[in-house]
Formats: sequence, structure tokens, C-alpha cells
Amino acid sequence: MLWLISAQLVNGIAIGMIYALMSLGLSIIKGLLNIPNFAHGALYALGAYVCYSVSSVGMPFAVGLLAAFLATGLAGLALDRLAIRPVGENGYLPQLITLFGAALIIEQLLLIGWGTVGLSYSPPLILRGAFDLGFTVLPKYIAFASIFSALVISAVWLLIERTKFGAYVRAGIERPDTTQALGIDVDLLLSGGMMLGAGLAGLAGGLALPLVGATSTMGGDMLGIAFVVLVIGGLGSLYGSVAAGVAVGVVQSLMTIAAPAASTAIIYAVMIGILLFRPQGLFGER
Amino acid sequence: MPFAQTRRDILLSAVAFAAAPAFPAWGQKAGGVTMGVITPTTGTFAYAGDLVARGASLALEMHGSSVMGNAVRLLVRDDEGKPASGVRRVQEAAISDGMRYFIGAYSSAVGLAESEVAQREKLLQFAAGGSEDFTGARCGRYTFQWSAHPYTAMRATLEHVKKTFPKKKTIYTLTADYVFGHALLKYTKIVAAELGFELVGNDNHPSGERQYTQYLTKAIAAKPDILLMNTAGADAVTAIRQFANFGTENIAVVGPWTLEVDQLAELAPEMRSGLILGQNYYPDIDTPANKEFVGAYTKKFSALPGYSSAYAYDAVRAILMAMEKANSIEVSSVIGALEQMSWEGVLGRMSIDQKTHQVIRPYFVVRCKPASDMRHPADFAELVARGEKPQPSELNECKQMPAL
Repeated sequence: MLWLISAQLVNGIAIGMIYALMSLGLSIIKGLLNIPNFAHGALYALGAYVCYSVSSVGMPFAVGLLAAFLATGLAGLALDRLAIRPVGENGYLPQLITLFGAALIIEQLLLIGWGTVGLSYSPPLILRGAFDLGFTVLPKYIAFASIFSALVISAVWLLIERTKFGAYVRAGIERPDTTQALGIDVDLLLSGGMMLGAGLAGLAGGLALPLVGATSTMGGDMLGIAFVVLVIGGLGSLYGSVAAGVAVGVVQSLMTIAAPAASTAIIYAVMIGILLFRPQGLFGER
Repeated sequence: MPFAQTRRDILLSAVAFAAAPAFPAWGQKAGGVTMGVITPTTGTFAYAGDLVARGASLALEMHGSSVMGNAVRLLVRDDEGKPASGVRRVQEAAISDGMRYFIGAYSSAVGLAESEVAQREKLLQFAAGGSEDFTGARCGRYTFQWSAHPYTAMRATLEHVKKTFPKKKTIYTLTADYVFGHALLKYTKIVAAELGFELVGNDNHPSGERQYTQYLTKAIAAKPDILLMNTAGADAVTAIRQFANFGTENIAVVGPWTLEVDQLAELAPEMRSGLILGQNYYPDIDTPANKEFVGAYTKKFSALPGYSSAYAYDAVRAILMAMEKANSIEVSSVIGALEQMSWEGVLGRMSIDQKTHQVIRPYFVVRCKPASDMRHPADFAELVARGEKPQPSELNECKQMPAL
């Protein structure tokens, strides 16, 4: 039994890192713009399609990932300028509805552009097969995806915690009015944050491509998990989503030992439990 | 202008609504036949909706869009892959459009819900799907099942596995946690016992699951010879994609009713190579009716047909033939004719089991080809076996069919 628990722990941490990457982008946008980005799932799907298209014409997979990040970053900028800002003065609700509509438009555009048949992509040869850890086997690609996610999350941490841009972003999140008064262009900051958050969603989509393929509706599947991670981590906490992402992956994986059919339902049960006893989330502040 | 403002208006509306089913076939009595294609063009099974409609329209077109001088109109409605939507679409089409015959649904859960309406409103339903309930516990005089019985599917698939891999004895199953998966798991246990396989584990997964590595990690740890996928559609595609990442070549992946030919394109060739899959239909089936169908379909749609199109084509064709045999377009007469009928269908000689309304038909097994063996982009697999052993009668739960 111990080896099975260990095997599921390894799998859970690996999958959790991908959840964390997806949720980090959502967390940045929530922090900067103070709106839950309902188009985040659609951006994740767009990233998967862009990565597929670039990689399947013979470009290296790494270029596909970079293209996914850049393309969805630009899509994020377009969303910010064309969807969020124009209705910003009317309050919170119009922004939510506009983002929801934007998600539907992106999904339909994916269907028109790539068709209804889902797409599969095998990872590069070097990432195929599995590591034999003795007590379990770990697919090389999942190991890569989790390490890559950890590196990207670390890079984002460095960007936000150790650079001037990051300091502005944190200031923009915590005290937007004061930041503006200090002469920092908060509008530009918000656009930069939106691009970064959207780009991370696209990158997560590209990274998930060899695991879940590319379908126009894949964003909805991931968005549910990303919001759960965001709520568990704490809505005001950038890094809470990272810890919560790993925790959700581990809980989901361990649950397969006891009650496999409930392995997805359990993460929603955990979220409800946390909301009941700690409404601000594990790392959030009241 | 608002409707039903007074109590009298409300009562009149209620009476009209209640009486509508009693006067259903105005369109039909006027000399035409309205045939419904209730199929998912949105939702989980969206890929199949248009393909079902294509097959039905082709069958009608090849029959001159009429039967015995009556024009036949095809009515395509989206059931969204949801039982509640399917039931609404069937009721609306029956009341508003005089629909008395329909092809649907593609999903078992939707089809079984629609079957209740079919019995109540006396509509002839030709269904597809993997649930045994269509011809078992929830059988009905007005419902016919075109797809194979899950027992037939499981038996044909595992017989081939036993013959091809005599040393593979242990099976781990991954099962979709709803009526379709449960039926397959039930017959996995029965057929495994018949053929001498040992079941070493099973995990049920919720429908719509997109993360399978935790199930696969557990399955691989059990060191089975065979991973049997009692799941279908997008769930199966995702599970197979993720299994391919484990690179576990000593475990054979077998799908008794997992991916039809319509969905094989969703997997990269290296992911599907070597898969052993049961099939309700495959375009290479060598029968005169299938050659005619494949030829006409390819000419019209510039693509090879799959299960969705073949089911609708053959079901519409069978209904039209039954109308001619009965020399009537009345539902009760057509049902009587179908129950007695034997026809050259796309799968070969086909007939109906009068006791259950299960179409008596073969089931096919294919082995997916590596990319190097594919002659064209849609040459996914080769037919390697067929089986037609029907469900043992003692296992069938269909009580006596009610009178018409």
C-alpha cells in the first residue's frame, strides 16, 4: 500500500504543477483587474491549438510553447482593450458578462479554424516513455511538464518579487490609486499583467497538449479546476494558487486509491470545506 | 399580446396541450412522412451529430425522398447529448411536425429517455448506443436497437484477444461510471469467466474526466496483461493519449466499445497503433450494401463513412423497406413488418429479434495500423475478426413485449 501511496503522490505533485501554472495566470489577472477571468479557459484552449499548429509544421515543441505564450498574451491584450476596458466604467458585472461572451467567441473561432475533430500531439522523442522509479513508473513527459511548470512559476516569482516591473505590479494590485498618484502608468501595468496572465494560460494549454490533446471545449474542463485552485489558495494570494494547485493534484491522485469515481468530486468537496472554515482561502487575507 | 390571461384561457390551453398527442400526424395524414433525426450537434457528442444526419439524408436521397408515393421529409433536431433536451425535441417534433418515426439517439442515456416518449406517444424509434437496457429491462415495442448488444461486442473482442494473445490472461478495466460503462463491465465479468481471463482490478471514472494518470498509475501497478477500456468518446481518447505517455508496451490496450472509426482521427498514429478495438461498423466491411453505401457517401461527402453515418443510413433504409413491406406508413403496421423482416444491410444479412427488438447483426474487431502501413489518411485499421454471438437469453431482462 505504501508504494501505491508514494506512486500517487508523485503523480499528484506532477499534475498539480500544471494546475498551478494555469491558476497562477488566473490569480495574476484576478489580483490586477479584480475580476475572475472567465475567458481563461478559452485562452488555455487557444494556447493548445497554437502550440499544435506550430509544432506540427516541423518546428520544435519549445517554439510551439513560446508561440502559445505569445499568441495568448496578445489575445489577452486584445481582451483587455476591446472587451474589459470599454465596459469597465459600468462596473463589475458587465466585465464578467463580456469575458464570458469573449470565451464563447474564442471557442467558436477555434471550431471554425480547426474543426470539430480533436487533435493529438505526441511529445518530442526525448520525452516519450517513462522513468522506472522502482515503486512506480513516471512518464517522462509528465516529469518534464511538472519541472517546466516549476521553472516558469519560479521565473514569474522572480519577475514579480525581484524586478521593478514586479514591484509596480504588486503596488498596482495592493494600492492602485496610490501607484497612479506616484506617476506609474497603471493602465499600462494592467495591460502588462493581463498579457502575462493570459500568456501563462496559453503556455499551460501548450504544455497540456500531449496529455489532453486540443479541443475547443477543453478550456471549460480546466477552468473549473483552476477556479477551485484559486479559491482554495486564496483570492488575494498570488502564490497560494501554486500551493493549492499542487495540493489539488495530490488529493485528486490519492483519492484514486480509496474511491476512484470520486477523485474529481473530492476537490470540490475540499473547496467547500475550506470555504466553510476559512472563507479567505488557505493563504488569503480577510 | 399575452396568452392565457384568464382562467378559461389557461384551461383551454391545458386541454389543447393535453389533446395534442391524440392528433399527432396531421402532416402524415396529408400524404407525407416526417422522419426525425434527433442527434447531438452540440455538446459531448457534437462530432457525431452531423454525421448521423448525413447518413439519414443519403438513405432518403437514394430512395428518391419518397415511399409509396408519399414524400418523406427529414427533420434534424439537436438533442445536445442531454436526456432532457432529447425528450423535448422528440415531443416538439411529434406535436408540431407530425413526426412518427425517428432516428436517435446517439447516446444511450439520451436514447433511453427518448424511448419513454416513444412508447407513450407511439413513435417508432431506431436507437443506437451501448446500453443493454434498450433491449433489456427497459425494452419497448416502439424501440429498436441498431447497435450491437454489449455482450456480442465484448465476446467478439475478447475472443479475438484470446486467439491473438494466448498468453495474456489478466485484465484491468477502466470503466465509465454511467449506464453504458456499467453494462460493459457486467459483460466483461461474464465473458472473462467464459473465456478464462482473470480480472485483477477496475476503476470507475466519472463521465467527462480529463485527468487519467492517477487511474493509469494504479492500473499499471497491478501489472495486468490487458488494459480494457470500458469507456468511450472523448473520455477514451484522453485516457489513451495519457496512457501512450507511459510507454508501457507490454500491456495490450483493448477497447470493446471504445472508439468508433469516426473518432480514430483524434489520436496521433503512434498513440493508436496496435490498439484492438471493437467496432459497430467499419467502412471496409465487404458486403454489397456497404459497397454501395461507401461509394455513394464518398461521392457525396468526399470522406469515408463511420458508425454514426452507417447507423442512420441503415436504420432509415430499414424503416423505408418496412413501410414498403407493410404497404403502409402507419407506425403499428411498420413495426409488425420490421419484426418479421430480414434485409441485406450494410453489415450483411440483418434481422430483428422479435422478443427484444435487438437487431441481429455481426460485430467487428479491428487492429489499428502504424503510420507506415496506412495507405491513406483514413486507413486507420484493419479488420481482424467478427463475432455475432447474441446475448444468452437467460441474461436478458426484457419481459414480454406489450401489444401495439
